Amino acid sequence: MNTTAKIAIVSLVIVGAVSYLILSGVKQTGLQYMTVTELAQMEKAPKADGFRLDGVVAAGSVAYDQKQPRLTFRMTDGKEAVHVVYDGLMPDAFAEGRDVVVEGTFRHTDRTLHASKLVTKCPSKYESEGLGEDRS
Amino acid sequence: MSELGRLAILVAFLCAVYSTGVIAWGLRSGLAGPLRSGRNALWAVCSLTVLATIILSRALVARDFTYRYVAEHTSLDLPAMYAFASLWAGQEGSLLLWLLILCAYGAAFLWFYRNRLDPFYDAVVMVVSSVAVFFTFLLAFVCSPFRMLASPPADGMGLNPLLQDPGMMIHPPILYTGYVGFIIPFAFGIAVLLMNRTGTRWIEEVRRWTLFCWMFLGFGVLLGARWAYIELGWGGYWGWDPVENASLMPWLVGTAFLHSVMIEQRRGMLKTWNVALIVLTFELSIFGTFLTRSGVLTSVHSFAESNIGPWFMAFIIGSSTLATALILYRKALLESENKMDAIVSREGSFLFNNVLFVALTFATFLGTTFPVLSEAVTGAKISVSAPFFNRVNVPIGLALLILTGMGPVLSWKRATASVLQRNFLIPTVLGVVVTLLSLPLGVKGLYPIVTVFGSAFVMATIVMEFARGLQARKDVAAGRGAMAIVDLMAKNRRRYGGYVIHAGVVMIFVGVLGSSVFQKEAHQPLRTGDSMAIGDYRLTLRGTEQKMEKNAALTSAVLDVSKDGKSLGQSHPSKAMYFKSQQPMTEVALHQTPGEDLYMILGGVNEDGTVSIQAYINPLVSLIWAGGVVMLFGTLIALSDKMRLRREEKVAV
Repeated sequence: MNTTAKIAIVSLVIVGAVSYLILSGVKQTGLQYMTVTELAQMEKAPKADGFRLDGVVAAGSVAYDQKQPRLTFRMTDGKEAVHVVYDGLMPDAFAEGRDVVVEGTFRHTDRTLHASKLVTKCPSKYESEGLGEDRS
Repeated sequence: MSELGRLAILVAFLCAVYSTGVIAWGLRSGLAGPLRSGRNALWAVCSLTVLATIILSRALVARDFTYRYVAEHTSLDLPAMYAFASLWAGQEGSLLLWLLILCAYGAAFLWFYRNRLDPFYDAVVMVVSSVAVFFTFLLAFVCSPFRMLASPPADGMGLNPLLQDPGMMIHPPILYTGYVGFIIPFAFGIAVLLMNRTGTRWIEEVRRWTLFCWMFLGFGVLLGARWAYIELGWGGYWGWDPVENASLMPWLVGTAFLHSVMIEQRRGMLKTWNVALIVLTFELSIFGTFLTRSGVLTSVHSFAESNIGPWFMAFIIGSSTLATALILYRKALLESENKMDAIVSREGSFLFNNVLFVALTFATFLGTTFPVLSEAVTGAKISVSAPFFNRVNVPIGLALLILTGMGPVLSWKRATASVLQRNFLIPTVLGVVVTLLSLPLGVKGLYPIVTVFGSAFVMATIVMEFARGLQARKDVAAGRGAMAIVDLMAKNRRRYGGYVIHAGVVMIFVGVLGSSVFQKEAHQPLRTGDSMAIGDYRLTLRGTEQKMEKNAALTSAVLDVSKDGKSLGQSHPSKAMYFKSQQPMTEVALHQTPGEDLYMILGGVNEDGTVSIQAYINPLVSLIWAGGVVMLFGTLIALSDKMRLRREEKVAV
């Protein structure tokens, strides 16, 4: 067998292995984006840690037990709402009204999501609020 | 002043357009005058950009809130150095910094090549100018940093507290110096195609430019990791965040290029591949800037969604289409001069190194853009995060680690069985022995074991290469002790610089292994006088302190830290409440040693008076930073090498 053929074979093996890793990786670790309404209206709970929920922290719903630490709040998209329980420190940027993304396990019986991961989106809009018009 | 800044950018845009156009004309007509004029026009672009930057920086430091940009990103209570650093806190300023660094590279090129009247170099200048057209256009017409407010506020909106950190002063400029620098290799690549350039002189030149910006990019990526580690307070340093990935991708392709270019230089092979890699590196740099700035993906760096996304997309698609067309058009120029002789050879190992680096980049790209891609293809928005990247990238990375030890010691063309035995027997045995010794320490699982084996194996090959080099120069080295190693490295800086870089890479692998597999964590509410244990450490709470700073109120826990009963002094994990944003910021307390870091976070003061403390032990993290410094050092050694040209090229100069 000549060298070019050997190189082609080894390269194909590498490409094949990487493709397999990618495909199986997506299948096993991929997270479906969901809104609170979509989650609340699902017939049965989605796979644990198999989804990513986008929503807003509802006003007046935050309770934080720092000693545990355990953070509980309601997450809403304006229509539906679910309870979220997160065992961990409250992220710095976390506050009522902020956009958050959570991953975890959802139970339909009490509409509670036990979050394994909580990310607060940065309030990136320090920019350009209320500064008014440009000077012409 | 703002009118002057606006005018400077506008004139810079016109000069960049002129420079591109007049050089194109000069190259077609063969006249020297237009070429000279085009070079001068790029000088003008550089000067005007410096002027615009000075105007904006002055406004930032003076807190001139008539500037919209200044009002959006600074405030009166912001320390002056962060006010200056706000130059790269927002989109408009970041673009200006991009252009400024592009100009710095352009000016460096113009200066170094001022006496080279070869039109090839004018073609390089033309490509740089054409990219400057894009950025000056954006700054002049799409998002100007010189927008003024009709009614300026009394105080600005302030800088995001996350960015008020010494890391802000150095990380973005260094990262950008890496990103933007790939403009020069890209311009060389395009110029080669445009001018139908043969020979290897340009390869040596481009290798040095690439090495320079590759060094900055890699160092910038690590600085970012360190910043995240110290500032973000989650105990880690790398989260496969889209923006982290964006900075990693051009580095990976750049690394592939730095290896495969050696094959072209030595054997005249892989020419098409190399040009494609340069183009890809540059496009990924632009893509990185785009990702950081466009807000298409959720990220810790997500800035305001903006209007420049489509422009960047258009630029990336346009320039890569053009480059691809050029590569196809010049197929004959890129014909390989040699054939690969054997798969087990230096060329062979570098080739697989390239395949793996590109695969790593591809997997990272796919994972990073997956939400967008899956939504476009299937309609369902699916995202992947750290578990995906760990699953896919770790094995590829480990394969590369093993290759790191093999490539440099395989001979060119064909490695014989005796060479293999001589070079690999001892390292393999050593690798196995070290792996066996590590098992009782708790190393388990396939990947950790392969990491330990690979690291020992690679280190052994490097040490053997040094030993062999010293052996060959025995008579010169005799009696010179440690100086003999310096002599040896000075003799062949590229080679030994490369080995030093590889040693740094191994250190990083070991550091990542230690901190990811052996991390310990503890959390406890403490009363004054109480203590908690983590590993061999004991943390005793002595009380809390309140401190007022100019722009924030600071609450700190005072902890006595001891290890095995021996006191290590006090640590002060804190929370800062920034007045402007009313946002708390965790200030981590770190006790760093070469072996492990003790990482302490103040959770907060509880209602019952207890203080919540979270602590981590992160083993071997220091090795990651030290490995970065070693890589930097190795790159500097390699960069200090003289230009190496084939004899015929020397005559031609």
